[in-house]
Amino acid sequence: MIQAYTILLDSLRMLRASKLFWVSIWISTFVALVYASIGFTNTGMSVGFGLFEFDIALMRKGTRESETFYLLLFTDVIVRFWLGWFSMILALISTCSIFPQFLQVGSIELALSKPVSRLRLFLLKYLGGLLFVAVQTGLFCLVAFIAIGLRLEEWSFSIFWAVPIITFAFSLIYCVGVAIGVMTRSTVFALLGALLFWGLTLVAQWTEDAIYKMAYVLPEVGLGVNFSSGQFEEAPDDSAQGLKKTYASIQSVTAVLPKTRECTISLKRLIRFNERESLLTGVDLGSVFAGNDVDPVIKRAMEKYELRHTWFSIIGTSLIFEILVLAGAATIFIRRDY
Amino acid sequence: MSEFAVHIETLRKRYSNGVEALAGVSLQVPYGSIFGLIGPNGAGKSTMVKSLLSILRPTECRGTMLSEPIGNKAILAKVGYLPEHASFPDYLTGRQVIEYAAGLAHQSRAACRQRCDTLLEQVGMRDAAHRSIRTYSKGMKQRIGLAQALINDPVVVFLDEPTDGVDPEGRIDFKNMISAMREEGRTVFVNSHLLAEVEQVADRVAILSKGRIIQQGLVEEMTRRDARYEIKFQGQLPVPLMEWCQQQHMIIEQDRISYRADSPLQMQPLIDRLRAALVVIREIKEERFSLEELFLQAVAQSRAETSATKGGAR
Repeated sequence: MIQAYTILLDSLRMLRASKLFWVSIWISTFVALVYASIGFTNTGMSVGFGLFEFDIALMRKGTRESETFYLLLFTDVIVRFWLGWFSMILALISTCSIFPQFLQVGSIELALSKPVSRLRLFLLKYLGGLLFVAVQTGLFCLVAFIAIGLRLEEWSFSIFWAVPIITFAFSLIYCVGVAIGVMTRSTVFALLGALLFWGLTLVAQWTEDAIYKMAYVLPEVGLGVNFSSGQFEEAPDDSAQGLKKTYASIQSVTAVLPKTRECTISLKRLIRFNERESLLTGVDLGSVFAGNDVDPVIKRAMEKYELRHTWFSIIGTSLIFEILVLAGAATIFIRRDY
Repeated sequence: MSEFAVHIETLRKRYSNGVEALAGVSLQVPYGSIFGLIGPNGAGKSTMVKSLLSILRPTECRGTMLSEPIGNKAILAKVGYLPEHASFPDYLTGRQVIEYAAGLAHQSRAACRQRCDTLLEQVGMRDAAHRSIRTYSKGMKQRIGLAQALINDPVVVFLDEPTDGVDPEGRIDFKNMISAMREEGRTVFVNSHLLAEVEQVADRVAILSKGRIIQQGLVEEMTRRDARYEIKFQGQLPVPLMEWCQQQHMIIEQDRISYRADSPLQMQPLIDRLRAALVVIREIKEERFSLEELFLQAVAQSRAETSATKGGAR
């Protein structure tokens, strides 16, 4: 226990000493405060705690649209883009050096000469790297929790699901950086390798997403894609058989890859607002701003789209991937002579 | 319980590239002694220490450390280590480096705090303990390195080139600190290529060359081996005395007589004869080999043997 505390405390100290950590914390705080500063008035909405007011009829205080907008802004924009993208890139830049630095001559010997097993050392050091994202997301969620609670008067602790899910999503890329870092002892290779791998998995996930929409969502609402003109056109439900086969092939490829994007998107399933449940499923920000009631057929198709992956196919397969990568990295770490 | 803190029956390390860093080394380090391992660069000194501390995985290792098989991780709780070119995270202060080492060695925070203050005082770093490591000189880092090696109150301390990059004043401090460790009852294993320093503090030494121990023993005995006595006199030696000296295989050069002897007792008949012949004795001194001379001699001999073996094999 003392050893675990010592290694995690060391990781916290390392983060505290990292400029990027503070830059990231400050930007996170700023984004969280901007989110908290959004309010709704009798004529529309305000930003900056009432500093800037906008007359938007749809966003008046107490309307269903304003509440939907406020929640979707958190689940669909902030979680997905700030926490799921930018803060993760900053975290990768900050943490990819942990293992290469730890493995430096003169440094690793100190740790290995203590009565701590190499596997324990490896895993604790790895967990220490995840603190970067966990601490940051935790702080962000706290501000969002208070903001949503005050604005909507619904205190949903499910917001804090973002902490483990975003940390897990980060860990899926970080483990690749760690494996490369352990193999090469180079921060540059670790960072570039992790970013490249993340890019590849994203391309795979985007492709799967797009093909699914064309193969299933569009036919369900009676549309199809005319590939020669590049336009949507009305089509019978069974018109996308070829696309469905393509989707099945792509799905078999993406099945083995970690699903960082799907993890952050799946947060929408976990963040629950019991009094406003219908506001979040099958709805996106575009339809909120359009002010239209979503067509029940489209809403049903979108719900199916959002729920197309089981938890096992998102978390389970990603976890298997992470365990395999970490097992490989740990084996190298344990067996190597220093 | 064994009388040896470290007892290596055989230790062999062959790297995957085929280089044999240690070719079946065997040595014993008694409890409470200061043991110096000396050898040229690349002899395998650090490899040996790293093998004992499980930092390297030896190809073959039989032996015990603190009565437990070498490689037993738990025993490392009673071992301290200062690596060569020790590098500490520069975001830590000197005190935090010591606390980090204490935590990894299972030391409670309360026990660590008290011991940390004592050690910082001992290594002369109390006033700089709160400063970041990045502001330290090489000598200061080595002092903190020594303190972290002692934080778990170890029975055996391994110091790999402890005075590397330390100024002359610091070296004297290090020598005194190492001597103090012996007084505290610790066993100290010092790796160094600074032979004069090792000679000043070590009780026992082993000379390692090309992965083999080529000589080992008590420093006192090793340097006394082949010791000579030299007597300087004034004036001329009487002819009968000169003849007697030659019969005793003594060497006479101008105003001095030198004689190989294991003990000063063997010199007494000569002194008696000189006094009886009214020869004025100006100086009597015992000439011992320095560790450096022994080392150079041993390494040269080992190289010659290796060349001869290779030549023979061809």
